[in-house]
Amino acid sequence: MPDLRVLLQDNPGKRVLLLGNEAIARGILEAGISIVTTYPGTPASEIGDSISAIAAEAGLYMEYSTNEIVATEVAGGAANCGVRALTAMKHVGLNVASDFVMTLAYAGVRGGYVIVTADDPECYSSQNEQDNRFYALLSNLPCLEPSDPQEAKDMTISAIEISEKLELPVLLRTTTRISHTRGPVVYGRLKKSNLKGEFIKDVKRLVMVPANSRPKHPVLLRSMEKAKEISETSPYNTVVLEGKNKEFGLISSSSAYNYAVEAADLLGLDADVLKLGMTHPLPEKIIGQFLKRHGKIIVVEELEPYLEMQIKAIAKDYAPNVEIYGKMIKPYFPRDGELSTRIVVTGLAKITGKKLPIDFGKIDEKFGEAARNLPPRPPILCVGCPHRASLYVMKKVAGEKAVYSTDIGCYALGAAPPLSAGDIMTCMGASIGTAEGISKVTDADTFALIGDSTFFHAGIPGLINAVYNNHKVVVAVLDNLTTAMTGHQPHPGTGTTGMHTSTEKVSIEKVAEGCGVKYVKVVDPFKVKEAEATLKEALKHSGPSVIVFRSPCALMVVRERRRKGAKIVVCKITDKCTDCMTCIKLLGCPALIFEDGKVGINEALCVACGLCASVCPYNAIECEETD
Amino acid sequence: MKEFNIILAGVGGQGILLAAEILGTAALKEGLNVRVGEIHGMAQRGGAVISNIRIGQKVLAPTVLEGQADVFLGFEPLETLRNLKFASEKTLIIMNEERITPTELTAKMIKYPGLREIGNKICRFTKNIVTVDAAELAKKAGNVLTENVVLIGALAATKKLPVKSESILDALRELVPAKHLDVNVKAFKFGYEFVKKGKTRF
Repeated sequence: MPDLRVLLQDNPGKRVLLLGNEAIARGILEAGISIVTTYPGTPASEIGDSISAIAAEAGLYMEYSTNEIVATEVAGGAANCGVRALTAMKHVGLNVASDFVMTLAYAGVRGGYVIVTADDPECYSSQNEQDNRFYALLSNLPCLEPSDPQEAKDMTISAIEISEKLELPVLLRTTTRISHTRGPVVYGRLKKSNLKGEFIKDVKRLVMVPANSRPKHPVLLRSMEKAKEISETSPYNTVVLEGKNKEFGLISSSSAYNYAVEAADLLGLDADVLKLGMTHPLPEKIIGQFLKRHGKIIVVEELEPYLEMQIKAIAKDYAPNVEIYGKMIKPYFPRDGELSTRIVVTGLAKITGKKLPIDFGKIDEKFGEAARNLPPRPPILCVGCPHRASLYVMKKVAGEKAVYSTDIGCYALGAAPPLSAGDIMTCMGASIGTAEGISKVTDADTFALIGDSTFFHAGIPGLINAVYNNHKVVVAVLDNLTTAMTGHQPHPGTGTTGMHTSTEKVSIEKVAEGCGVKYVKVVDPFKVKEAEATLKEALKHSGPSVIVFRSPCALMVVRERRRKGAKIVVCKITDKCTDCMTCIKLLGCPALIFEDGKVGINEALCVACGLCASVCPYNAIECEETD
Repeated sequence: MKEFNIILAGVGGQGILLAAEILGTAALKEGLNVRVGEIHGMAQRGGAVISNIRIGQKVLAPTVLEGQADVFLGFEPLETLRNLKFASEKTLIIMNEERITPTELTAKMIKYPGLREIGNKICRFTKNIVTVDAAELAKKAGNVLTENVVLIGALAATKKLPVKSESILDALRELVPAKHLDVNVKAFKFGYEFVKKGKTRF
């Protein structure tokens, strides 16, 4: 959607095609949420980005916070002044924020506060596929789960109302297939934002020292009892389909609900379907009555058996003889990966003994033949990406024996051949601490590769640790001046805010110096020789060192050139070329091609970064400086 | 119409997400229920990209079931092969002839398979194939980046869609920035006329 201002139209009843995340942004405007904080992460990014695009006009405040815990602290602080707030993050972001959120549940909030967690079954853009519904159980916070963009919008508003009724933060849990599905959304009325709050001092409520937090725990548990009443009467927890077949009853939520209904339809199952939209706390009575009405219950849910476990516990009191099918004891549905109509219809057929209407085996066999030996096409570093240059330089200087501890960001793509500069990667900021452990117990040269946004997010404590405990690691900050992977959001080093105002640029090199690092250098990765010399020096340094490889993201450079109408003089291969393949084999740049036995340049792709010219052993590639 | 399923498959950067949004918006303009299922983020960086469009009153799931695509826009030949499981003999495939060589093939000095060979494999799934040199037509329209709209034009010309061309053009006007609109409308027309003239089947 190029013009997000469509989100600002105050015309209730209008039907618009919105991405799930854009629908949440619309929900923010209809709920009168006035402060929105986020750290970008797929599949949550478009929530913050949509709000960033319209915040000033809508009269609300939006910020890209340094990381998810800071984002929840800022929003939680504002919510405790009575202002409606929302924080959006990807699922693993909630791990970062959880320290604050777990105890905020004790203190509570005065203004409505919604925490959006966007889970990523199938790990499309993530390092794991954890099921964050368990955070609702763990923290005793209510949780809503939309199944489509319309519900994503509506539940944002409901979540705020529930939050204010209970004075508790509320989790709104989406998945990739909710956040990144477009569907029709019918607008409601916009609500005016209100950014003016009042901090009311209340030590017993807000200062979570043991004497105060101890009595807050039973208060929280009592709130959960109230939340249960809300869940029992929630319009989101209802039997949505009544079938003629009363033998089976289906219970489902979120994305899984969509597959379940379509799969049941394909099989002609004609069973009752109980849809759960408020999944913490569960509506025990509604579920109990549903169990009583059916001999067999099928629970269809994505990832962990979160519903199934609790439904089995409810069954013990309400309908001890009911048979419950799901994924716990006999796995009719998988516990890993995302579901699909195919997976669900296959599971349902097995449970009900009905014949599958589609011969998937035959399709697989035929497809297997057609797709045999198909070359993979994984995501790769873009043409002109400065990370390619930085990683090339590191590999050239330190070679295969060095250990490259890498981090979350585009540069993680450099773990793939031919650069193969990524030996271990776990979560945001982990590159530095992990490298320290490796360097302590091995003789290898140890690098920590970390992006600019990731450095601010969670890299700094690791760096301080390197100084304090004198770990000999080279921290390579791959600074492309943006948060590239998630869609070019600004960060503390960019000098721009989520409100599109100018601000102080936090300098990575000064932060490093301030942390006490004695060897700090900034290099341009495309000046290959200089970068090599600096890196060699850093490796000789006795303690931790920091090298900032600074060059803007190639996508931003190309966009800027296009905007200015600048002409790009692409690299040229001269007749000195011996087709030795060095450039292709070292760099894996998509603009370098091999056709009819000759190395060539794809002129439509080349952005004249000149890296290939730097690595050519025969000086056979010419590249002019393009400004 | 019970439901109508469209698969768009190609390479990150070919404008697949925008193409899907244009088609989804066009369907919505005609009062139809629609789901567009897509993947953003990491998967986009020059990697294989797929988008699903499902139109129909009872449609809920954002992804197409194997063998159930009514039409299939193949933005790139190898990516068309990679997603053939969505096709059956009832599927109409519109395939861009432009080949984007995966870097692995370049590094291993393996030739990109011939179009004829790819066509033969597709024919085992469906004989309804239209191939379009979308890059050429996009260039003729004034911008090689409008390949996606050329393919939409080609699709519109087949009259398979439950959506009128006028609605697609309306969606285009809404979603494409004003300064690029003329080129895009041209690209749509070139794709449309190319298919109307025929002579594109294997």
